[in-house]
Amino acid sequence: MNTRFMSGFALLLAAIVTFLTPATSAQAEALTLTDIAGRQVTLNELPDKIILGEGRMMYAIAAITEGNPFENIVGWKDDLVQFDPDAFRKLEAAFPAETERMINFGNPYAGDFSIEGVLEADADLVLLDSGNLFKAEETGLIEKLDKAGVPVVFIDFRRNATENTVPSLLILGRIFGEEAGAAEFIDFYIAEMRKVTNVVDKIPAEERPLVVVENAAGWQPDFCCWSFGPYNYGRFVELAGGVNYASTLANAYSVTLSMEGVLEADPDHVIGTGANWAEAKPEVTSTLLGYEGDPDVNAEKIAALAARPGFAELRAVQAGNYHSIYHQFYNSPYHFVAVQQIAKWLYPDDFEDLDPQDTFNRLHEEFMPYEASGQFWLSVDKAIQ
Amino acid sequence: MTQISNTPSVDTIVGGYQKRAVWRVALVVAAALILFATVVIDVITGPADLSFWRVAKVILNPSVATTKEEVIIWDLRLPVAMMAVVVGAMLGVSGAELQTILNNPLAEPFTLGLSMAASFGAAVAIVLGWSVLPGVGALFVTVNAFVFAMGASLLLFLVTRMRGANPETMILMGIAMMFTFNALLAFLQYGASELQLAQLIFWQLGSLARATWPKVAICVVILAIVLPYFLSRSWALTALRMGEDKAAALGVNVNALRLMVLAGVSLLSAVAVSFVGAIAFVGLVAPHIARMIVGEDQRGFLPLSALAGALILSGTSILSKAITPGIVYPIGMITSLIGIPFFVSLILGQRKRHWQ
Repeated sequence: MNTRFMSGFALLLAAIVTFLTPATSAQAEALTLTDIAGRQVTLNELPDKIILGEGRMMYAIAAITEGNPFENIVGWKDDLVQFDPDAFRKLEAAFPAETERMINFGNPYAGDFSIEGVLEADADLVLLDSGNLFKAEETGLIEKLDKAGVPVVFIDFRRNATENTVPSLLILGRIFGEEAGAAEFIDFYIAEMRKVTNVVDKIPAEERPLVVVENAAGWQPDFCCWSFGPYNYGRFVELAGGVNYASTLANAYSVTLSMEGVLEADPDHVIGTGANWAEAKPEVTSTLLGYEGDPDVNAEKIAALAARPGFAELRAVQAGNYHSIYHQFYNSPYHFVAVQQIAKWLYPDDFEDLDPQDTFNRLHEEFMPYEASGQFWLSVDKAIQ
Repeated sequence: MTQISNTPSVDTIVGGYQKRAVWRVALVVAAALILFATVVIDVITGPADLSFWRVAKVILNPSVATTKEEVIIWDLRLPVAMMAVVVGAMLGVSGAELQTILNNPLAEPFTLGLSMAASFGAAVAIVLGWSVLPGVGALFVTVNAFVFAMGASLLLFLVTRMRGANPETMILMGIAMMFTFNALLAFLQYGASELQLAQLIFWQLGSLARATWPKVAICVVILAIVLPYFLSRSWALTALRMGEDKAAALGVNVNALRLMVLAGVSLLSAVAVSFVGAIAFVGLVAPHIARMIVGEDQRGFLPLSALAGALILSGTSILSKAITPGIVYPIGMITSLIGIPFFVSLILGQRKRHWQ
């Protein structure tokens, strides 16, 4: 009785509110959610002037939205333009007016991100990545935005990528009013991840190959090696059935390996990450993987990376097990593609029927506003030795 | 036959002087031997299990090495070990002469802002992608660091040319520069991406990991030019430590000396920091250790400062490899950690004052 009365009352209230306020596309309904940082955030209505703390959040947003993913977004940081120009141009080709409209707010943690600019744009939500929670607290950004009446929601596809992707997608689904799209994508994500983990779970620990991950190989031409502990690409390797070398040394997100240690460990596989950084940083020697990746160019790049002092001596390089993969999988919900490809590299027989390129194509056909193209991974040619 | 006199004979004075000269040489030789031992330990430690004899064989006769051993010893361990020695010596000498010409026990490239300027120059290259000198290619981070460090010294230089400028003005100017560059650096850091930040941290905390033979060679050449010049001015520099007026009375052109020495120090420290990043404490501590052992006479003080600097950095290099084999730690972090307790114990253990 009581609940029926309450819901009737709520309906009436909602009707009054709808009647009183001019019709908007956003539903006039308060939304309370817990973000990835564990903060409870209440939004009075669905935001339609959102600022992205990172442009690369578009990887996820474009995948879950039906139609125009920019509809509720007013601006972003230009990291996508700078560090993944290929993906940016894909979005630009699909939504030219929208990418043109995007205001570049710069880095949320730097002085160039002004609260005034946020207010001027009439923003009603700022999305930040939880890897920068500490910076956001330290710089007083959250507090300042709170005072200005602009809520902040944290999501994460990088720091704890494999753990936070599904909850982050759920949050994005609610914020953008795209719950159905998010659920569909999550289904796809889980199914593709399980294709690997279901097989890998049966492989005994002592049979798992040793893998060294080189984060951003060639970013600094004279230096090796940044790696990941049991996070991000380090975790992808573990999920794909490999032993991640840096995880055996330290339980940290980022680990700096000594080249001598790598030589001594002599891993079965070495996986470097690369993306089209050459436009923002011409001196990089990395593989330029992405939507405009050119197999001929990248074959030369990976051969040069494998020929750096010390690398030529590695068993992995000599056996053609020196690989390169798209760096930005590390900050996007598509990392299941990376996990699949790594699994295929580590266990070519067990995953003979798995086709990561097909997974990547289906991802684009079913979810993305543009088509797959370019090159996202490759291995060094054995014959080069 | 009894000679009643308080003044020692000429023979005693000459004998005492000679004894001291021999003692000084012996100290320098002893320090050099200890340094040699640390370098040997540095070269035989690493994640790869290579025995002392195997390493010795590979060094003396490179043709016996497997390719892997050759890479580990000749491309990875030796350049790092040599870089530690040369950069340590450069920083030790820089600190020693800055303390001498500025008459201040706290002067060193770090406190005078030169290291911070270099770090800022590197950060400008890493975060903003700006190159001060065009056409230097992939070296532009190093070149930027060098140009900024030299620019900072030039500023110090100009201050010394100002009317009424004294060593205190220079020190204060240096400290002001250090804080300015530090603030600018923090500003850039907040805007840096994850990868840029990782690159920056290694700059700020110093790292020997990117040592190569050409870099070692450049450092050796610079040291081989500047150190003999400083040694040739030993008398004048020792005189300066008795006070500016006394030195002037002895015929030393104090201003010219200061300028020339500052130029030499700028070159030494700018090259050192642009290759390995900012390494704190070595330039400060090494001269104090040398002073406690041999005193102010530059003929002993200068070589020992160089050796003490080399020893500290070489020891740090060993330690940085021993913490977790396979992981590279920024070396500047460790120099401070081991340098400070050692330094404090030296200060507290001293009975007489060494800084007058």
